[in-house]
Amino acid sequence: MPCIERPDDFESRRAHLRALSDEELHARFWQLAQEIVGPLIEEARTHTTPSIERSVLLRMGFSSTEAKALVGRMHEQRLLGHGAGRLVLELAQRQGISVRDAGVALLQGRFWEELGR
Amino acid sequence: MKLSPDEKLDLREVLADLDRYRPRRKGWTWRKTIANHRVGAFVLADTSENLVRSVPLPAAQSFGGVDPQCDVVLTTEIASGRFEDDLRRMRMAAWHGADHIMVIRTTGQSHIDGLIEGTPEGVGGIPITRKQLRATRKALDAIEDEVGRPINFHSYVSGVAGPEIAVLFAEEGVNGAHQDPQYNALYRGINMHRSFVDAAEAKRIMADAGILQLDGAHNANATAKEAWKVTPELFVQHAINTAYSRAVGMPAELIALSTVPPTAPPAPKLRLDLPYAVALREVFHGYRFRAQQNTRYIEADMMEATVTHVLDTLISRLAGADIQSTITPDEGRNCPWHYNNVAGVNAARQTLMSADGLMELIALRTAGPLRERVRELQERAVLFLEEIVASGGYYAAVAAGHFVDSGLFPERNGDGIVRDPSAGDGAGTVIPRAADYGAPVCSHFGDNVYARPDAKACEAYGGCTLCDPSKIQYIDEVDPSDNVDQRLALPLAERAAGVLRPEVEKHGDGIVCVTVFVPASPRVAEAAALEMARRMGLRNPEVISRRLMHPAEGSVFEIKGVLDVTIRIDDLPLPVREDPLPEAEIEAWVRAREIHIVAATVGEDEHSVGLHEILDIKHGGIEKYGFHCHDLGTSVPIERLLDEAERLGARAVLISTIVTHAQVHEASMRRLDALARQRGMRPRLVLVAGGTQVNAELAAACGMDTGFGRGTTGRGVASFLVRALRAIEDT
Repeated sequence: MPCIERPDDFESRRAHLRALSDEELHARFWQLAQEIVGPLIEEARTHTTPSIERSVLLRMGFSSTEAKALVGRMHEQRLLGHGAGRLVLELAQRQGISVRDAGVALLQGRFWEELGR
Repeated sequence: MKLSPDEKLDLREVLADLDRYRPRRKGWTWRKTIANHRVGAFVLADTSENLVRSVPLPAAQSFGGVDPQCDVVLTTEIASGRFEDDLRRMRMAAWHGADHIMVIRTTGQSHIDGLIEGTPEGVGGIPITRKQLRATRKALDAIEDEVGRPINFHSYVSGVAGPEIAVLFAEEGVNGAHQDPQYNALYRGINMHRSFVDAAEAKRIMADAGILQLDGAHNANATAKEAWKVTPELFVQHAINTAYSRAVGMPAELIALSTVPPTAPPAPKLRLDLPYAVALREVFHGYRFRAQQNTRYIEADMMEATVTHVLDTLISRLAGADIQSTITPDEGRNCPWHYNNVAGVNAARQTLMSADGLMELIALRTAGPLRERVRELQERAVLFLEEIVASGGYYAAVAAGHFVDSGLFPERNGDGIVRDPSAGDGAGTVIPRAADYGAPVCSHFGDNVYARPDAKACEAYGGCTLCDPSKIQYIDEVDPSDNVDQRLALPLAERAAGVLRPEVEKHGDGIVCVTVFVPASPRVAEAAALEMARRMGLRNPEVISRRLMHPAEGSVFEIKGVLDVTIRIDDLPLPVREDPLPEAEIEAWVRAREIHIVAATVGEDEHSVGLHEILDIKHGGIEKYGFHCHDLGTSVPIERLLDEAERLGARAVLISTIVTHAQVHEASMRRLDALARQRGMRPRLVLVAGGTQVNAELAAACGMDTGFGRGTTGRGVASFLVRALRAIEDT
């Protein structure tokens, strides 16, 4: 899409703003800003990314290298939509082991067939 | 870890036991402001608590050595590529009033999909890693104890690993961070969906850790060709990041706008920049303001840069700011040198202290051009937002090149930055959350089966690292050759051996800077200046600043080069400094005797200020100890001085040679000594010279008993006289 070029038409374009008080103008500013970020926030609320999932595993007590390896493989197996943290926690609960042991087992190649079921 | 002001930072101690180091607090700290604060002779309006240890502004020596601290946080940005060298720079900056240390990341870290570990060397900044953060936080904890004020540590939560870096910062006690997904999208070529989805998580983590967020809008100033025309868009960039942060749950007090006065002289800076600053603060009332200084237009001339930065800081006083950031005056010509971080901080605090209480004296006008311009900018910003909505939202607007166009909106020049929402680094990595999506951790944003109002999401397994830091996994080093231990081997060996080399950035870099004026046309003068630097022994000399004085009469150059010398501290001829005698001891000895002293300013010199200060009781001079001083005035011939000394039976003669040319001061000293010898007076007469060009060694070489230069006090002179006269009495 080509970028638009146009002269400064501020005087005509501002006609509808002229009558607003400063407070009304500021309120309009913030109402527009919220309108613009609304869909962006909705996308964030309903989506995740490999970095978010790695950050979850970091918080669950895994190192950066462990988190990277785990999330990388979960991404390949299209499992991240369930949440890396949930996958590890549920594995730990099913196996009766700690979250950390569950992650280490996955890093050793075990239990992958069970994930996401 | 405890620092001693007389000892260098012990880097080995900093690096010891980092696996167990925990930050002692989280979150941002503002200065404790004090209204009507009495500091020395002054009652100040816009100050905060004094420091326990600091280096005052140079002029403070004439104001009782006071070092009042302004009310706003002062930032310095530090990045040499080696954090171990940066720590020493941070300590120096803290002593000059910096309490916000911003660490720049190495080139390219934005594009690394994950965290870096260890302590590899960086380029134009440092790789942000857990070990490096811990070492820096540990050093800053010790430095803040040394100066007596909390220091905010700051870096960047941007790139494709934002959420992970935010976790790292929350865990390691980082206090402030840049976070703005627009920056990723516009300037880093990172996929915009990825940037915004990551940003929500990162902002949630920062908010819970109390980390102050700075946005990235100021980058448009640094990028746009005519930065003042991008101002309507800056409102929009600030608004998108602010509204997005609020929607994520970040409180207003943790949201700071990063804003820069967009112009520099010869543009009518205040007339353009002040209305913009006022307009922004009105629309964003309730949020914090981080006032940055202008980098867009600074060139190699450090004086010019400093003047622009002083004006930027004045705008902060006029419009208000919570954080005053500083740019080193040499940023236009090289990576900042450490003493220029100090210079930048000093320019800001000097300006802020000079403008203390300014807004009690003046007010910005509520009618006229200022108000008209403020309103116009705010309307242009609203029109910009309207066009984003009309064009289908944020992503569509970026794709259509709405941002960083060089026109003053609604003017459009068709040269904005265009990014494809489906492309860029990390494209295709945004994944829909399934209905059973879960993240069993604290500080998580968005749909999550573990989110409950009554319990922590991490309860099922005993707590996440934000609740139980003992679960944090610490990685020390990953690269056996590129790490801090390898880099420190030589510097620490040199330090232990007492070896010194000059430096500006990294240990022992050997870089020095010389100023050379050459009276010739620019091309010839520059070649000559470089040759002169080579003959001074500088390796790889390079002109870093050239200023034309006149096309034919000459130019002045600053040249950097490597001075490849090492100095052994043990070999230095350090002058022996005698401590001044106690005041009571001086007075008791002097008052017991009737001691007459003859003094004058000699040579063709009408300046006598320095001598007054040494003699006059009002200036703390030697009269107060009971010396009978006879000041014969200015331009006094040597013969007359000795005539008076003979007549009065004076036991000492003081001469002052303040402004000299053609070595007149040396000739005066030699003549005083020679004449006193001719007349047979010399063995019983103490001869002392003073002046800006004089020091003890020079005076002794010219036949004086001693000499005094800058910074001399009456007590110092009196101590010398008592010791010298005692010695004469003892012989």
